[in-house]
Amino acid sequence: MISDRHLRVAAIVLALAGLGIAGYLTYVHYEGIHPVCGLGGDCVKVQTSEWSKLAGIPVAVLGLIGYAVILVTLFVPGEQALIAGALTALVGFGFSAYLTYRELFTIDAICPWCVASAIVMTLLAIVTTARLMRAPTEQRGAIPYVG
Amino acid sequence: MSAESQPTRKQRREAARAERVAAERAQAAAAQRRRRLMTVGGVLAAAAIVVVVAIVVSSGGGGSSASDRPAVAQKSSGAIPGQKEASEMLARIPQKGIYLGNPNAPVRVVEFADLQCPICREYSLQSLPQLIQDYVRTGKVRMEFRNLSFLGDDSVKAGQAASAAAQQNKLWNFADVLYYNQGEENSGYVTPQFIDRINKAAGVDPAEADAFAKTAAAQEPLGAANTLANQYGVNATPTILVGKRNGTLKAVNADATDANAYKSAIDAVLGQA
Repeated sequence: MISDRHLRVAAIVLALAGLGIAGYLTYVHYEGIHPVCGLGGDCVKVQTSEWSKLAGIPVAVLGLIGYAVILVTLFVPGEQALIAGALTALVGFGFSAYLTYRELFTIDAICPWCVASAIVMTLLAIVTTARLMRAPTEQRGAIPYVG
Repeated sequence: MSAESQPTRKQRREAARAERVAAERAQAAAAQRRRRLMTVGGVLAAAAIVVVVAIVVSSGGGGSSASDRPAVAQKSSGAIPGQKEASEMLARIPQKGIYLGNPNAPVRVVEFADLQCPICREYSLQSLPQLIQDYVRTGKVRMEFRNLSFLGDDSVKAGQAASAAAQQNKLWNFADVLYYNQGEENSGYVTPQFIDRINKAAGVDPAEADAFAKTAAAQEPLGAANTLANQYGVNATPTILVGKRNGTLKAVNADATDANAYKSAIDAVLGQA
């Protein structure tokens, strides 16, 4: 069975990858430049669609905040941090799934960066939920944290 | 023999204690499992609620689409949004086909746009008026509107109507009024009635435009725009290219609403011209 330490390291790597993707998408959004968009994708069409913002905030920025929150929780000991991390990742997973659905069936274009972020967020949701489920209740505050 | 097979009192006591401890452990483990499942269930439920709220906000057009965009042109007795603004912005500036401004201007600015693209709308409503005022009106720049209809059916219909407006030398009015009335992407809002209203507000003869939009000639500007886009590697809208009148063009990387960035790019070319 994979140890909690390994799961935590995997989560840190995933959160850093997510930060990189969301950071790049935020950068191209505010710089007004066209993202590098391979694999036959159409990033501009996705990024200029009405689903590229939530309540006026670019979803790339929301992703950046989400990954940052998850990363912070991975360095904070205690049950509350585990809950916060899993909650953020699950919200991210749900909203990513919705945006991917919009890409496929409404916008009719795929942004590989967005799909990559959705995959990373899905893996983070799995890993953070697994950590929350496996951490013994009485020992949650005493899990060794290696920075 | 029988005494050996019978557990002693002590052994019985120990066995009972071990049983009790095992039961307590099992109970504690079950309680822990319940608590853990409740925690995870609570987190899942909370996440589901947040996601549903986010989806409702998103579907309700909480982004830039509805809140800061004028409504799609509806039946109304008055002038439609943008009619007055477009007319004032372009007054007395020569238009010919896709071109706007002095044919002998030293600098050429090419705009690649899709009339459905929201960022093209931002560029046209926020940056373009200043650029026209400072550079086109003063004869320093000649602009070209190159239509790339790639976002969907509504883009194609709007693009064909734009070609018809260009044929009447009213393309720039048509595009500006359309941006003011831009609707939700690919919602089917570009109907003949919608085009008719935009044409009237832009000063385009609707009957003549309608007849022209159905001809093969209406496709020509779209094909030419695609050719030029391929030549310069343009694959997104809006893309603004700036260069000397007969020179090579260069794309300006700027936020669509940052008029100063476009001004700097034009000034740089004017300095060389």
